[in-house]
Amino acid sequence: MDKIKKIYKKLTIMGKISLLIFIIFLIMGVFSGKIARFPHDNIVAASFVSPNKTHLLGTDDLGMDIFAQILYGARVSIGLSLFVAIVSTLIGASVGIVAAYYGGVIDRLLIRLIDVLTIIPSLPILIIISSFWGPSMKNIVIILVLLSWISPARIIRSKTLQLKEEPYILVAEYYGAGFLHLTRKHFIIELVPIILVSIIKLISRTIVSEASLSFLGLGDPTNKTWGLVLNFALGFQAIYFTEYWKWWVLSPLLAIILLVLAVAFLSVDLEKIANTRL
Amino acid sequence: MKNILLEIENLNIDYFDGETPLAATKDIGFSIFEGETLGIIGESGSGKTSIANAIMRILPANASVSGRISYKNRDILKMDDKEMKKILWNEIAMIFQNSLDVLNPLLTIGEQIAETLREHKSLKRKEAEDITKEYLEKVGLEKDDFKAYPHQLSGGMRQRALIAMGLVCQPKLLIADELTSALDAKTKSEILDLLSNLQKEFNFSLLLISHELDTIASLTERLMVLYRGQLLEEGFTKEILRYQYHPYSRGLINSSTTINVYKDLWGIPARKTLEEGDGCPFYSRCNQKIEICKLERPSLISLEASRKLACHQGGILEVLRGEDISKSFMNKNGQVRACIDCSLYIRQGEFISLVGQSGSGKTTLANILSGVLKKDSGSVLFKKENSEAMKLGSQLGGVQIVFQDPFSSINENFTVLDAVREPLQINKLEDQVEEKVKEYLSRVELENSTGYLARRIHSLSGGQRQRVALARALIMEPELLIADEICSMLDKSTEANILRLLKKLQNEEGFSMIYITHNLNVALKLSDRILVMNEGRIVESGNPVTIMKNPKDKYTKDLIRFNKKNELLLYD
Repeated sequence: MDKIKKIYKKLTIMGKISLLIFIIFLIMGVFSGKIARFPHDNIVAASFVSPNKTHLLGTDDLGMDIFAQILYGARVSIGLSLFVAIVSTLIGASVGIVAAYYGGVIDRLLIRLIDVLTIIPSLPILIIISSFWGPSMKNIVIILVLLSWISPARIIRSKTLQLKEEPYILVAEYYGAGFLHLTRKHFIIELVPIILVSIIKLISRTIVSEASLSFLGLGDPTNKTWGLVLNFALGFQAIYFTEYWKWWVLSPLLAIILLVLAVAFLSVDLEKIANTRL
Repeated sequence: MKNILLEIENLNIDYFDGETPLAATKDIGFSIFEGETLGIIGESGSGKTSIANAIMRILPANASVSGRISYKNRDILKMDDKEMKKILWNEIAMIFQNSLDVLNPLLTIGEQIAETLREHKSLKRKEAEDITKEYLEKVGLEKDDFKAYPHQLSGGMRQRALIAMGLVCQPKLLIADELTSALDAKTKSEILDLLSNLQKEFNFSLLLISHELDTIASLTERLMVLYRGQLLEEGFTKEILRYQYHPYSRGLINSSTTINVYKDLWGIPARKTLEEGDGCPFYSRCNQKIEICKLERPSLISLEASRKLACHQGGILEVLRGEDISKSFMNKNGQVRACIDCSLYIRQGEFISLVGQSGSGKTTLANILSGVLKKDSGSVLFKKENSEAMKLGSQLGGVQIVFQDPFSSINENFTVLDAVREPLQINKLEDQVEEKVKEYLSRVELENSTGYLARRIHSLSGGQRQRVALARALIMEPELLIADEICSMLDKSTEANILRLLKKLQNEEGFSMIYITHNLNVALKLSDRILVMNEGRIVESGNPVTIMKNPKDKYTKDLIRFNKKNELLLYD
């Protein structure tokens, strides 16, 4: 608890605002069912109602409440990106530690794999794979994880390499410590800040990736993420000739931008703190 | 070959004080040759004086003696009083320890000496007086001192008179019991010179009983080490003083300021176990005892020519030996040879220092010996076995190493408990880990409360961290502890505290130590032996005194010169 307070104090003003925004989105996502007065996937009013007291952001072409869709989209987007970020960071961390600890052939193989995956531009890959596998939540998660573990793996490998040279690790190895002991007792505790930062960084990346996929129509059509809302809105012919774009297009767009920016600012701040040691 | 003058076989002396006999000596056997000087050394209570008294047949009435003491092939113990009287003073004489009650205060010393002559040589009064005066002069007194009463003489003069008394009948064997222990240094050295000259002049055999090494060293050729009534080691005095086989002999010699001019004084630690048996007398204080030591008494057997030892382990064990160790590293300027053909050994309970400037290869050598680093060539033997495949660091009773920097050698995020118990945890040794951690924390003089155990390492000072590192190493009960400049990052006062603690633990627990330092003065204070390293080679080794008095290598000479220069800077 003390540590969290300490970290909070070290945040810049931008960081604090970002944290607030992130928490608001988080609450929106978690309690979306309670906050929304209307279901997000049902026709509740006439089409194209302008924003008013009952429909804060109006309705779309089918008469579904947009505010409810944004709330629900927050849940899916944040949930999905958190899941992807955590899973891929854990995979990346394991790969990084294994590569650094064992070195030699294992290290060279893994590093080569990471290099290859880094060079290939990820969005085209995302598009190609997801169009092959077909749109489903599971596929999106797998694809995103596949492309996201690389950067944490890199960072954690180099940090572990550096740790490996610490005298206390040499001492522990002299006592006969193996991979498990060193990882559990020495590496993890030192890597926690890096792991946390890399999770947060991945969150914003994943939100954007997922939104792009959905926007391109490659997302899961049954789960209305912000990207999908945007996709539907822009799919409406000649939306810019009407005034509906102001709420139908802008609201998911702003939500994405706000959340991604907030998370990005937060991660920059946290990275600085992590680098100066807690 | 000289003839045997006195031969003692299976001498047992028991004192009866109440019901149970108290053994003063057990199966002692030795011989004295004609014209030979033999020393017996041992702590007080070891039975030295009982042996002398048994030879002179002046043991108290409650003592029982068995065995054989043959003088010129006749058993003294079986002689009747008349025969004995002939031998006493004429053949075997004794110089008593100087104290007032040895001399009769009512008679002049001349009268007392002359009386001995008249009694044993049946001389007339005048003849006896003349001879007495002659001997008084020989021992450095005046003729006129004949008329002096004991209380009129100083301690040194009385001791001279007692020597005259011992010699006046021209005995073949002279027994001297604690000849010099009550004398001041100057008188002592005069008396030693005197006795040494007289021995050369008259060529009598001398049995010198003492606990003082300098007395023994200056007067005897051969030496026996006696402990609790048993002989533990026997050999030429010079050889025993240089290299001891028995741990007791070593302890005894290390406790002497005569031999250890530079080193701090540490006695043989008091007994650890109260277990007594019929086994080795040194059992309870020995740090390398095995099962048989408790059950069976070791007998005195010949090791090499004129060297005998009574120890089941064959004397002080060798813990580690490195032979022709070489190691080189590559850097951008090419190959750097860190160690070149380094050979060394360390025995159980020994404290050696590796001295050298930074870059001399001492840390590399230490890392190779402990097994942290791989060597290019050479071999490391741990207890006479090749240590290549042994994991010395991960076993109890192996080798442990403590590193220079306490700030990086322990994970700062660990608690004290985690740090100290780490080696036990890794190797799944010990069930009562926390208890053991507490015990070792108190051994290194740290708190062992639950609160302290939960403290993070990063909240500790350098000195405390180094103590934690020590506790962590000691918890593995190492046979050999290597300490690599462990104080170089600490302030002087903390350094002094840690070094004294280390030496105390080493002395008590009896493990061996290799201490690595660039500071010759620290090494002088701590070590039994010093190895000097320069440019990857061990250029010199020896005990502190020989290194200081007679350095052979140029680098060692420089080192000593720098030291001298610094001293002058301070005190000019």
